[in-house]
Amino acid sequence: MIGAGGAGLRAAIEASAAGAQVAVVCKSLLGKAHTVMAEGGIAAALGNVDPDDNWQVHFQDTMRGGQLINNWRMAELHARESPDRVYELETYGAIFDRTPDGRILQRAFGAHTFRRLCHVGDRTGLEMIRSLQDRIVQLGIEVHMEVTLTRLLKDGDRVVGAFGYNRVDGRFVAFRSKAVIMATGGWGRIYKVTSNSWEGTGDGVGMGFDAGAEVLDPEMVQFHPTGMVWPPGVRGILVTEAVRGEGGYLTNGEGKRFMLEYDPKKKELSSRDIVARAIYKEVQAGRGTEHGGANLDVTHLGAEKIKKKLPSMYEQFLKLADVDITKQPMEIAPTIHYAMGGLRVEAETGATTIAGLYAAGEAAAGLHGANRLGGNSLSDLLVFGRRAGAAVGVYVREVGLGKIDERQVSDEQQILLLPLRADGKENTYLLQQQLQAAMQDGAGLAREEKSLKTCLDRILELRQRAARIHVPGSRKYNPGWHTARDLRFMLTIAEAIVRAAIERRESRGAHWRLDYLEKDPALGRVNFIAYNEGGQVKLKTRPVPEMPPELARLFAETPSPSASPPPAASPPKPQQVRT
Amino acid sequence: MSSKSPSPSVRGQGGGSGAPIVLQIFRGDADAAGGEERFEVPAVEGMVVLDAVHYVQANFANDLACRWNCKAAKCGSCSAEINGRPRLMCKTRVDEFGDREIHVGPMKTFPLIKDLVTDVSWNYEVNKQIPGFAPAANEPVPYRMLPEDTERVYEYRKCIECFLCQDVCHVLRNHDDKSAYYGPRYMVRIAALEMHPLDTQKRTGLLHGKAGVGMCNITKCCQEVCPEHIKITDNAIIPLKERMATDVYDPVARIARKLRPGRAGQPSAASPDGLAGVTPAQRFAVKDVVRLKTRGRRFARVGRLLPNGKLEVWILHMNGQVQHWAGPKIVHASDVTNNYGPLDEVGIGSKLVEQYITEDHAAEQHN
Repeated sequence: MIGAGGAGLRAAIEASAAGAQVAVVCKSLLGKAHTVMAEGGIAAALGNVDPDDNWQVHFQDTMRGGQLINNWRMAELHARESPDRVYELETYGAIFDRTPDGRILQRAFGAHTFRRLCHVGDRTGLEMIRSLQDRIVQLGIEVHMEVTLTRLLKDGDRVVGAFGYNRVDGRFVAFRSKAVIMATGGWGRIYKVTSNSWEGTGDGVGMGFDAGAEVLDPEMVQFHPTGMVWPPGVRGILVTEAVRGEGGYLTNGEGKRFMLEYDPKKKELSSRDIVARAIYKEVQAGRGTEHGGANLDVTHLGAEKIKKKLPSMYEQFLKLADVDITKQPMEIAPTIHYAMGGLRVEAETGATTIAGLYAAGEAAAGLHGANRLGGNSLSDLLVFGRRAGAAVGVYVREVGLGKIDERQVSDEQQILLLPLRADGKENTYLLQQQLQAAMQDGAGLAREEKSLKTCLDRILELRQRAARIHVPGSRKYNPGWHTARDLRFMLTIAEAIVRAAIERRESRGAHWRLDYLEKDPALGRVNFIAYNEGGQVKLKTRPVPEMPPELARLFAETPSPSASPPPAASPPKPQQVRT
Repeated sequence: MSSKSPSPSVRGQGGGSGAPIVLQIFRGDADAAGGEERFEVPAVEGMVVLDAVHYVQANFANDLACRWNCKAAKCGSCSAEINGRPRLMCKTRVDEFGDREIHVGPMKTFPLIKDLVTDVSWNYEVNKQIPGFAPAANEPVPYRMLPEDTERVYEYRKCIECFLCQDVCHVLRNHDDKSAYYGPRYMVRIAALEMHPLDTQKRTGLLHGKAGVGMCNITKCCQEVCPEHIKITDNAIIPLKERMATDVYDPVARIARKLRPGRAGQPSAASPDGLAGVTPAQRFAVKDVVRLKTRGRRFARVGRLLPNGKLEVWILHMNGQVQHWAGPKIVHASDVTNNYGPLDEVGIGSKLVEQYITEDHAAEQHN
């Protein structure tokens, strides 16, 4: 198990319950993973507050939000199973906010038809990770903290272990295992303005890619509409969607509530891609705020409700920006938040395209399509974390341990040691900053062919320079050395993002092309897949899995103006795309 | 500090620069005696200490070791001692120090690994010794917990495990007595478990013994440094001390505590604005299945509501798979932890298939 966020821990619990011997490996201390940053809540159609809610509605919301390039089976499983996963989390000791009659309280969120998000104030992620962490401790599951893995070890076509280093003392470590689950999260760190921590480098997906697994939908990177803007030191830090869920308004620099125009029906609670684009357009039209954003106002809710429902937002703005959100609006702008893309997996099991390798959570792709709905990530972690854990529990009973190939280990050692030995001059942090700037400028919220191609050139140039990185110091807790290896993964993923973004010549969900503003129905029937061919990033397409008639009917019965028709009956054959 | 010329800040666009900030950062590891190293960092509006440390790391010392993750005071990774005070680097603004130098060092209570990174693994070992959440085996899922029973637990569960309270605790820091006391963080954790409305595990023996709640002499330093503003001493340690004392030293008081009427006669809370489908809180009604805090946390069924706010209940006894409701018994409303609603809608555990109700009890139901 690589990664100790929500998906990794949930998978470990399940695999352990299935009788497998499990070790969790994580780069940080236990309980610090990015799940902790999730604020707003976990989406599950419990129907506690709005009794009309059910899994079919949740399924439709998810598919529509993802612009129907999602894997329908994943969306179905997710909508059906998330209520049980929420209830189960309470058996691990979590306590959600409650209705007066003692059931789990649910709040409204962007593009969810009903009030659906189970939450604990604005610290839902913390509650979730702490509950899972406690469960892991209770079950006595082995955890290796501050260990970074950088290479999957293969025996033939099968993944049989992983290799990396211990961050604390720099010693190399190898794990021999029958199966590996990637629960390594996303790659927000590839961008400059991001809500992600240093961990979001895409290393797990990069490792899978190196080992031959397919990366699905890499071009789909979500901008969260509301990140902090000012002061510069806090730029990008997340402002939870719960602010809007609780009734916050967005206004432009002229004080106008502009979402009434962009989406008169859902207003501020439209899907994230639409709100983020609206803010961008307002700023571009010269109607931004002082620091190039929009205002998010909750002052009308009253100080008491704000402090009860949004305590950490109140604290965050007061401490970091000198803004009292009970009296003044928050200044916000879009920030990179989530990668819809990731390793391509089988819906039921989380199995990737190579034997012995599984993925769950943000590292896996398919559920969210072109745009993720708020709150669907936490339920994703639990639903598919559990499924991957269970599948591995079965798989490890069927196979034996593989053989570790010493050559792969020594190859990786060479790569790792290079920055310490090399007499190059490149500074790993400055290269990382240049990559982040390139991606922000070239493959950000608004994309076009020219900017994407420039960005690709810059990535390829940075890739050359990355070979000449030099890091001072020893292997002992040396973040510069760690970053040097992370940078390679970031460059691979960045290249995949940009190559797929160039090929998707349309605007769909989070992917917004200024030179192709409309949706292209033909591209709506395919997903892009990046794969490794001799160390090069190659691209191919794959038809979007076709929904069975009983599910497709759900979309026919309740047409929505924003939804495009479900995929046609005869999807095009897989084809090679020039790269 | 308000001009807007770009500068290479680690996150976000650069802001202006006035007089540089002077940082004195501790460098060194467990093998070699270390000392402070001086760095000058251009000031950026709204900069926090972690930004300054990152600037140093990117530009002057690539191998400077520090832990961080969220940069938004949610993960508790970047704990350090800033000008002698245990704080989160991501939440400490540099402008609060004015022109003074900023000294950044590692937490002193834990063994140094390198620079600002310490070995906090002891905390994780302590955590393993605390028995986790233990609901009754036949507790029906989904759980029903009333807001007034859960609200007190939220404060403890806000903890982000930054270990600043452990760092500042006299018992752990000055006397290095890590074998005698688990420290404030784990008092908060035990309190969260003990106050969980559905937990059945007893931890008072542990508190008295290995956890060593008696070691705390209530100087309240821990709650002063808590970035989540948890009133550690007031709301976790002192109540646990009281609970431990009554359970261990005073069995009579223990029984008295259990019998003491608490929040008898709960007024029904009004439904908050616009909650469709939520019936207003009906605290108790005849036929409701409830859970008792006393008498071995048994299930019971409400037979009658007495005018003095007490309840007449029939207590569930299991004989194999056969239910038997014994009673009537009179209990305080405060002796009830959960209300699962009317009997018709509740399956009490999946094992129960048959139901026997005594003749006279059945007759009473019809009255």
